[in-house]
Amino acid sequence: MSNIRDIKPKTINLTIDGKACSGVFGQTILEIARENDIYIPTMCYLTKVLPIASCRMCVVDVEGVDGLILSCQEKATNGAVIHTQNSQLYKERQNIMKLYNVNHPLECGVCDKSGECDLQNKTMEFGVSGQNFTTKEPFRPVQNWGHISYDPALCIMCEKCVRVSTEITGDEALKVHFGGYSSTILNVKENQNFSSLGEAAAVCPVGALVSTDFKYTANAWELDKVPASCSHCSSACQLDYEVKHDKVYRVTNNAEHSNLCGAGRFGFDFANENVSKDKEAFNQAVKAFGEAKNIQFSSNISNEEALILQKLKELKGYNLVSKEAKDYQTFLKAYSEVTGSTLYSGNLKALSQSRGIIVMGTRINNDNPMVKYHINMASKWHRARVAYMHPVEDTLMQNVVTQFIKYEAGSEEGVAALLTYTLLKDIKVPKGIQTMLDNLDIGNLSAETNIGEEELEALAKSLLKKSGFSLVVGADVYAHPRASNIAKLLGLLEHLAGFNVVLVPPTTNALGVSLICELDDAVEGLTVGYNVKGDFTLSSFGEGDLDMPAMNQQEGTLTSIDKRVVPTHVARTYGGYVLNDIANALGLNETYTINYTEQLPKDKGFESAEFDALPNYFDAMGNENRGYLLKAQKASANRKIEDIEEIRGLDGVVVYNCNHIDQFTPLTEQCKTLNQDKYLLGSQQFATAGKLRDGDTIGYTIDGVKFERVFKIDTSLKGTIALNPTFDMGLSSALLSSYRFSQVKLERVGNLI
Amino acid sequence: MSLEQFKNRNVGTQNYKKLDLSHSPSSGWGEFKQVVSRTFKPELFVGLWVTLREMGNALLGGKMHTTQYPFEKLPISPRYRAIHEMLRLMESGNYRCIGCGLCEKICISNCISMETRYDENQRKEVSKYTINFGRCIFCGYCAEVCPELAIVHGQRYETASEQRASFSLFEDMLTPIDKLNLQQEYQGFGAISPNADDNIKKTPLAY
Repeated sequence: MSNIRDIKPKTINLTIDGKACSGVFGQTILEIARENDIYIPTMCYLTKVLPIASCRMCVVDVEGVDGLILSCQEKATNGAVIHTQNSQLYKERQNIMKLYNVNHPLECGVCDKSGECDLQNKTMEFGVSGQNFTTKEPFRPVQNWGHISYDPALCIMCEKCVRVSTEITGDEALKVHFGGYSSTILNVKENQNFSSLGEAAAVCPVGALVSTDFKYTANAWELDKVPASCSHCSSACQLDYEVKHDKVYRVTNNAEHSNLCGAGRFGFDFANENVSKDKEAFNQAVKAFGEAKNIQFSSNISNEEALILQKLKELKGYNLVSKEAKDYQTFLKAYSEVTGSTLYSGNLKALSQSRGIIVMGTRINNDNPMVKYHINMASKWHRARVAYMHPVEDTLMQNVVTQFIKYEAGSEEGVAALLTYTLLKDIKVPKGIQTMLDNLDIGNLSAETNIGEEELEALAKSLLKKSGFSLVVGADVYAHPRASNIAKLLGLLEHLAGFNVVLVPPTTNALGVSLICELDDAVEGLTVGYNVKGDFTLSSFGEGDLDMPAMNQQEGTLTSIDKRVVPTHVARTYGGYVLNDIANALGLNETYTINYTEQLPKDKGFESAEFDALPNYFDAMGNENRGYLLKAQKASANRKIEDIEEIRGLDGVVVYNCNHIDQFTPLTEQCKTLNQDKYLLGSQQFATAGKLRDGDTIGYTIDGVKFERVFKIDTSLKGTIALNPTFDMGLSSALLSSYRFSQVKLERVGNLI
Repeated sequence: MSLEQFKNRNVGTQNYKKLDLSHSPSSGWGEFKQVVSRTFKPELFVGLWVTLREMGNALLGGKMHTTQYPFEKLPISPRYRAIHEMLRLMESGNYRCIGCGLCEKICISNCISMETRYDENQRKEVSKYTINFGRCIFCGYCAEVCPELAIVHGQRYETASEQRASFSLFEDMLTPIDKLNLQQEYQGFGAISPNADDNIKKTPLAY
């Protein structure tokens, strides 16, 4: 199983506009030109997808070749002499611009894109001062597709949106309707209102695809861009909050090189507003901290806040309690004992370049859309085999998943063992491991986990002739009672089979918190909660005793799934107290929270970089220069793997804590354009088993948190496990962090028959 | 350019009145006679007669020259930059503003603030528009940049009020729909006054 990226690239030399350039065999002329700061105009080219080649703007002249060459898709050859600017090319490009301007509505004055429009820029660049041609204009009304609107009259048919929807987000909602001048873009899945189409709108070079909510509310030049990182999930994607008069109007990103899911793009109105300095509440908070034994917090906090909590622990001896981060920390530690490195090896870029991907223990499209996008990229670009292992099927993954392997909820340890066995049995492994593998009772495990041996055979077979594998592991296994052993089993895949393993952090900054804080279990005594219900509660979404800023009201760094420490800045003003004020009152002494950035622990892989010195940009070739990458440290090895414990399956009514798409936390709940459905979603089978009807209100308790939800039948679901969203539980949300599958007793509320 | 045209004193026929200055006395006796004659001649009443005649004309003949401010106002130059006005389209009565936001952007004292939205007719609607006249320096850039001649400087120069807010709302500045027929087209930034031609005269003096 060698890695395809190990093959040595062949260097080629060529001349572009008299400048000697060198590139790698396989690169296109345009890529090499951009690397060498040579400008070739383009309209339809989008760096992050495959060349579209619909605009023909990028034509160049290659000496010795008849006709014009499309530089975006033509691979450069050694010794080629290329001209990118001459009068013939200029005329060619000018004619293309004249044709783009046929009947293009002259409504730049009101168009959302005005000021950042590719068509405007290129029309000016090629001196097209009038509309030279015209044609009969068909009736093409504006279409409202939910999150985004489409104006066919403005569309220039560059097809970027279609490519993004297919190659990147994988919703495959947009299609081209070919028809000469009356060609349009179709939304074939309009009823599903994918928020991921925001990504398609982001790449639109004109004002044809725009956010419905933003449309006509502000102009591009009026908005201040605040560079930030998305705080909804652990991908911590790059984004810019666009602000005017202390209001976030929209979120944009560097759509040329990076991606953003629908929640990141449309979920920006979660600031803790109208907060002033409440001296009394602050004094009470300091008093509560004085008496507290525990600080319980959700790990949706910045690295700096985590460090403040850790310093307070060192100072006052608190127990730091954060269930999901603690589980993740324990898992990561056990994992590192096998791999010998404190961090997992994988990252998203490598995931998108994989030829074989195994997803386990996560409903990934809901838990971390960016991981799903990268799986989709691998599927579309490298025809990757994707095995999706989970107790609940996901219809939205169907177009990328090549093999769905369903296992019994609760049997994750057995699944990990089977997976390890299947993928390692043909590889030479150390003796101890071999013995462990030989001792596995495969027949029994297969029966217990409900994974057929033939399914595993098929999986092994499908990966046989491939190279470059990834394993995506999700939050289901971190809180499993046998998490440590699962971690070790999966660690073998990275250690021995060279898998690119991504352990998806369960919350935004679970990775950062697990590295910075020494986490404990709660003890008897007063608890101060930070975004969690405690005896005294600090909250960034109201409901608490003292207000705290939301993530878009504070500056700091987050640790992303890519093991990258990324900076985020203040988009909205905040008038209240922050955690640093409390820390200063308790004996720490730093003026600003970001003074802690350079104090982040070096022995955990952080750098001693000042916050203001952190870079935050993508270069012309799309290389990410945001913050810095954590350096994995050596970990003490302990490769002893315990025997697989007998599997305790879950019987009866089982619900799976899983937020609906676009929803992650109580912060996303406040975003008014995101899907606000709060139903318990189950299959017809679940309804029959639980004697439920669509629309019944039922009550149940998980981890001591009482739920009361309307049950809804989702025809796309199968099996007997229902999906229970947790994002709307406010301060109780973070309490729900034990094993995600739970057996519950349903009680009908209200309409008794 | 030569100086010739400036030296040309041929001013044509103008209705200038020349003063009759031929009677200046040259001797002491002459001066004495002038004083005595001016003192005892009834020329005083000639002057007073003019006053009485004009008073009679004004009060009885209806030839009043006084502008009865504030009941009457003199027209001012179109170049004058007074409180802004928002004009309507003559044909439809819709306001002209398309909400492009250029005035807000160009405003050097940051006093224009606007909000727009997508309305039911798929048009950009101006949902809020205010000018903070405490900050406005009446530079006229907003009127100059407006692509639709929607925001212009009007003739309303009396800007004393109990509240600045009395001027600053979109509705206050907008031409009332029932006075649409009275709406004056803005001549543009730097326009000349309507009777500018009449006021032009060639000066008899060289400079």
